[in-house]
Amino acid sequence: MWLSSIYLKSLRGFRVPILGWGLGLGVLMAVVLAALPTVLGTPEARAAVVALGPSFAWFSEPIKIDTPGGYATWKYGLTILVVAIWPILAESAMLRGEEDRGSMDVLLSLPRNRTRVALEKIAAMWTALLIMGLLIGLLTFAGGAKVSSDISLSAAILFGLNIALIAGVFGAVALLVSQFTQERRTAAGVTAGLLMVSVVVDMVHRVVPHTQWLSQLSPVYYFNLSKPLISGYSANGGAMLALLAISALSSGAGLWLFARRDIGGVVARPRFFRSGRGGSRPTRAVVQGAWSLRSVYARGLAMVAVPAAWWTLAIAGFAGWMIVVDKQTEANLRTVLQGSSLLRNFVNLGGGDVATNAAILGALFIFMPVMLMAFAVTQANRWSADEDDGRLEVLLSTPQSRLGVLLGRFAALSTATVFISVVTLVVTVVVSSATGLPLDAGHVAAATLSMIPLGLLVAAIGYLLSGWLRAAVETGLLSFVLVIWFFISYIGPSLHWPDAALRLSAFYYYGTPLVSGLPLFDTVVVVLAGAVALGLASLRFVRKDIAA
Amino acid sequence: MTNPIIQIKGLTKSYGGKRGIVDVSLDVAEGEVFGFLGPNGAGKTTTIRLLMALLHADAGSARIAGLDCWQQSVDVKRLIGYVPGEPSLDPNLTGGQILDYFAHLRGGVDRAYLKTLIERLDLDPNRKFRQYSTGNKRKVVLIQAFMHRPRLLILDEPTSGLDPLNQQEFDGMVQEARDEGRTAFLSSHVLSEVEKTCSRVGIIREGRLVKVGDIADLKDIKRYEITISFARPVPASAFAKLDGVVDVETLNNGSAVRLAMQGAADAVIKAAAQYPVVSLTSYEPSLEDVFLRFYESDGQAPREAAGVA
Repeated sequence: MWLSSIYLKSLRGFRVPILGWGLGLGVLMAVVLAALPTVLGTPEARAAVVALGPSFAWFSEPIKIDTPGGYATWKYGLTILVVAIWPILAESAMLRGEEDRGSMDVLLSLPRNRTRVALEKIAAMWTALLIMGLLIGLLTFAGGAKVSSDISLSAAILFGLNIALIAGVFGAVALLVSQFTQERRTAAGVTAGLLMVSVVVDMVHRVVPHTQWLSQLSPVYYFNLSKPLISGYSANGGAMLALLAISALSSGAGLWLFARRDIGGVVARPRFFRSGRGGSRPTRAVVQGAWSLRSVYARGLAMVAVPAAWWTLAIAGFAGWMIVVDKQTEANLRTVLQGSSLLRNFVNLGGGDVATNAAILGALFIFMPVMLMAFAVTQANRWSADEDDGRLEVLLSTPQSRLGVLLGRFAALSTATVFISVVTLVVTVVVSSATGLPLDAGHVAAATLSMIPLGLLVAAIGYLLSGWLRAAVETGLLSFVLVIWFFISYIGPSLHWPDAALRLSAFYYYGTPLVSGLPLFDTVVVVLAGAVALGLASLRFVRKDIAA
Repeated sequence: MTNPIIQIKGLTKSYGGKRGIVDVSLDVAEGEVFGFLGPNGAGKTTTIRLLMALLHADAGSARIAGLDCWQQSVDVKRLIGYVPGEPSLDPNLTGGQILDYFAHLRGGVDRAYLKTLIERLDLDPNRKFRQYSTGNKRKVVLIQAFMHRPRLLILDEPTSGLDPLNQQEFDGMVQEARDEGRTAFLSSHVLSEVEKTCSRVGIIREGRLVKVGDIADLKDIKRYEITISFARPVPASAFAKLDGVVDVETLNNGSAVRLAMQGAADAVIKAAAQYPVVSLTSYEPSLEDVFLRFYESDGQAPREAAGVA
């Protein structure tokens, strides 16, 4: 039955992500809601949370945050956008991936037109997203019921539907972008960048007055207008329709372009965006002297250069933006912190000017290693994809040892990781000086540079997994581990999880270096873990059969 | 055999429970062009990838120039130029950049010779690999295999996707390599290609090496069929004793004959001309058919003729 149509075949391919992401995020919401009494158990704790809310309004609008629905919407409403990663990856590969593999040629040899083929695939994607949303909604309802909250079943399902809609928007944008890119990973990268920009643009109106118009350009703004989990509020039908319309328009434009362009080609970009190079040069001589073609390391560096530049922009830019936000928030929060020791404990922050700044920024800096580790995931994927696609075959026919090839590529990735971290350090120092936000330079260095071992740990684990797994599975698994680590560190302390549980997350070892400096022992632990993973990856790679 | 450059002994490889190759033993002399024949899935690529240390053997050994292919793989690869069955290279590099990259990784590449190869195969090195046709992709990997004048060429179905002119050029390149005393080990499932290029062949089927011998042995197994229809019945005996005819079968109550042929068809054509011919079809059996005929002993008749001459 599952192979009787393109729609069913595509849906069959989505069954693992549906269960993984739907159940994963649904269980997360259920656990968060079910465990809320430990966070909001006493009047003092509730008062502390309410007092903290306005200071973090830039992150999410604080409404009734002393209730389960309000707290979950405030703290997890934005981070649950992580679910958009899957449709971005899936829809950027939906047509472009089939073209890369050459399977689109065969598919289009069937007596079906291009639009029909693409529509069936899009329909499968929407079915998957709706099932995911339903799972998230049902589990959110179950979590709410556990603590006798007033979250109704319909509200929970609308919450899930809203998530499906925003995820669908970015999936549809990825589909559209993939019409302009030769590679699916470029489309995925560009769309992920747009997701981050959308999140930041949505934040702007909560930080800078009179900028509502700007935030309205972001789909995330419309996602946040619906707050069905909060009693007295509901889903905003207009906003949900707006999300649906953006999806339909993006998908429609993508379909329209797909139906008209060459298979395997891209939509011609306007002249302005094209490079100035003309056609082929008449010479048959091989151009020599390019630095990037001199060794496996140099070639690896060239391969990672463009993505590293974008990730540097994102991570360093995010650091700079966070300092601006911190500056806005600092005065407000300092008053609150000084008045409540309980609140200081709640956010695990220090006090005093430099320390307070660092404390606020430290709470935000948790996202920095996450981003660097996400970069490492993409590059580990590239390594395993090279083997999957047979690109190591000719390389390994040259007198290069397998170990040398693996270490050369890993060294290039390490160089990029160091580069991103150093630029982030420089940007953080420059922006904090420019905005007059005093920070301890040593702690800033610790906070930015101690991300490096975390990034390399993830990359090494990715290399290790690629010793056995295909690229898609390796990346899915590594991404899942990253999300789990993040949520352990993000929600674990609030729910008073035991230290042993928190130690399961790599973020635990990152600590709060902006506040307390470099956790030397923990950093050494991460470095050692990374070295062990890389050692095992090397052992595996030098012995394994190279995929044909 | 004196001075073998490739020595394979009892080489065995399986993929989980699935057969790869079983107990393959083979020697290839330095300076010869050796053809490795077999139908799809027979084990040609597995054997080649074991020689290239891309796969780890379950049993047996493979040595090149006395060096163990697995243990001393880096030293072995200094001697080799390799063309994989399905060339896949960085799609974002131009053909020229790819060749420059591999020239650096190999070292010792004569740039003038590289330029000559590019011209001989008429490759435009300024296009990105992803933009090349299948044939041009094949040219890039062929050039990178030949550009350092390796002592041993290991070529997995090297002419797949090349047009006849470039196939001819490739034949010339292999010929020159042999004239310079270098060795080529090439796999193919096309009999005529191997017949043109190779001095000796090995035939692998279902993972087992079933025949190794001179190219003359190949002639013995290269049969084809001719079916001739006449306006009236003709005696089978008119063709049975002719040169090149191995077997005669009468069809349609004697008004057609199917001839199993080996060698020139001149005598058959002249004999057929004595009768009113309605049609003549010729069928060159696939390698698989040859294998079925020669390596199965169940006595089944060959397949129906196909293809029109």
